Amino acid sequence: MMNNLDIVIPCVIAVSGILFYLLVPRQKSQGAATSSSPVNGNESLPGAKHYAYFPQIRQALSVTDAEYLMKNAPPREAKQALRERRMVAWRFLEGLHEDFSNLARLGRIIAALSPEVSRQQETQRLVLTLKFQMLYALVWLRLSTGDLPLPQLERLTGMIGRLATRMDEAMTQISALSTGRITGQLRA
Amino acid sequence: MNHLETALSWSILAFEILLCGFVFTRKVQRILPFFATYSCVCLSSTIGVWLTYERFGFYSSSAYFAYWVSVLVNTTSRSLAIAELCRFGIRTYRGIWALVWRVLTALSILLLVHAGVDAWGQPDRVAIYGATIERDLALASIFILAILFLIRNYYGLTLEPLQKAIATGFGVICTIDVIGNAILRNLYTGYLFPFFLKSQKALWPALRSQFVRVNDMWSMIHLLAIMFSMGIWCFALRKPVPAPSETPVLLPANVYRELSPAINLRLAMFNDRLVELLKP
Repeated sequence: MMNNLDIVIPCVIAVSGILFYLLVPRQKSQGAATSSSPVNGNESLPGAKHYAYFPQIRQALSVTDAEYLMKNAPPREAKQALRERRMVAWRFLEGLHEDFSNLARLGRIIAALSPEVSRQQETQRLVLTLKFQMLYALVWLRLSTGDLPLPQLERLTGMIGRLATRMDEAMTQISALSTGRITGQLRA
Repeated sequence: MNHLETALSWSILAFEILLCGFVFTRKVQRILPFFATYSCVCLSSTIGVWLTYERFGFYSSSAYFAYWVSVLVNTTSRSLAIAELCRFGIRTYRGIWALVWRVLTALSILLLVHAGVDAWGQPDRVAIYGATIERDLALASIFILAILFLIRNYYGLTLEPLQKAIATGFGVICTIDVIGNAILRNLYTGYLFPFFLKSQKALWPALRSQFVRVNDMWSMIHLLAIMFSMGIWCFALRKPVPAPSETPVLLPANVYRELSPAINLRLAMFNDRLVELLKP
């Protein structure tokens, strides 16, 4: 198989493409380019910023609001409003993706800064992240085509809200532990 | 050697001297000893092959064997420099390193065994062996570098500019090597194969010019790729090498033990909810 040029050449071009893509410095990571540490101070720790808008989004997506609109507003305006609400939901879903990524990133930072890691845990997180990317793409597609009912999304936002609160607690715990560790070493 | 080959040989020699000069002026041997060794091996093998050409002639069998021996020495030295690059910077993250070195070692062994098996099945000719093993080792190097950078990217461990430049240079050389050697090997085992067989001696005069042309063309492309990579390395070494980053302060082991399963559990819940959302 390796002697077939039709396989070897596209394969090496693809792998080299991935390699060079990873080697090219991107705008987003310019600041971190000079350091090999995954955490440069507490400001770079991931945060659940979309959670801050959770009550407003929940209100905007509530079933009662939608029913009220359909009952009282003229059909054209009601449809327009529902379309806009869907757009908001779509944007919010993107934000939730960011929150998920932050949670996963937190897991990776902890792993990077840990003196020992479990292969099983790391594999599990990698699989979960890949699975999420796939599911997210499907939900995104269904929401974009108007195929996803808003009440279901409302349930999702509720769950993310709880996750985000736990994540904030975890980050505070890690920050406290890191600071304690650094202070301890300086004293020693 | 024709004028172009002479000019290329002088140019590669100049690049190698320049690279060695930069490497030892910037004291790279203190942080990347195998890369420093690689630059010396490149220079010494070029001089060695050159002397063989001068002594025995460009088209002599000694020159032919000297060339392939130098290719194998260079490839081995490059592989060691890549292994060193894999280790650099990650080793201080003990947990990740314990995971990464196993993955990379397993992958290296698998790819090396594949290279050995692939070369083993070839007809007993130095050029075919050489082209096959060089192609497979270059392919293994690209795979290992790509996996390494995927892991680094995943855990947010960036490399310093010099190491990035070295990896880019190796990436260029290995990519060209894989493509060039794959084509060369296919020609050797196909169209040009009678040139390696004593029973086909009658065909040798007709094939000789084509064999020489193929080799010359491949040498030229290979040398240009090496010069390009050396240019990248010299450019990266034009400024003094910054001091290595400080060793990171690691968290207590119990933080990972407690938080990692909790985070994974939440990520799993997240996925379960997304699955629920997709149910009709």
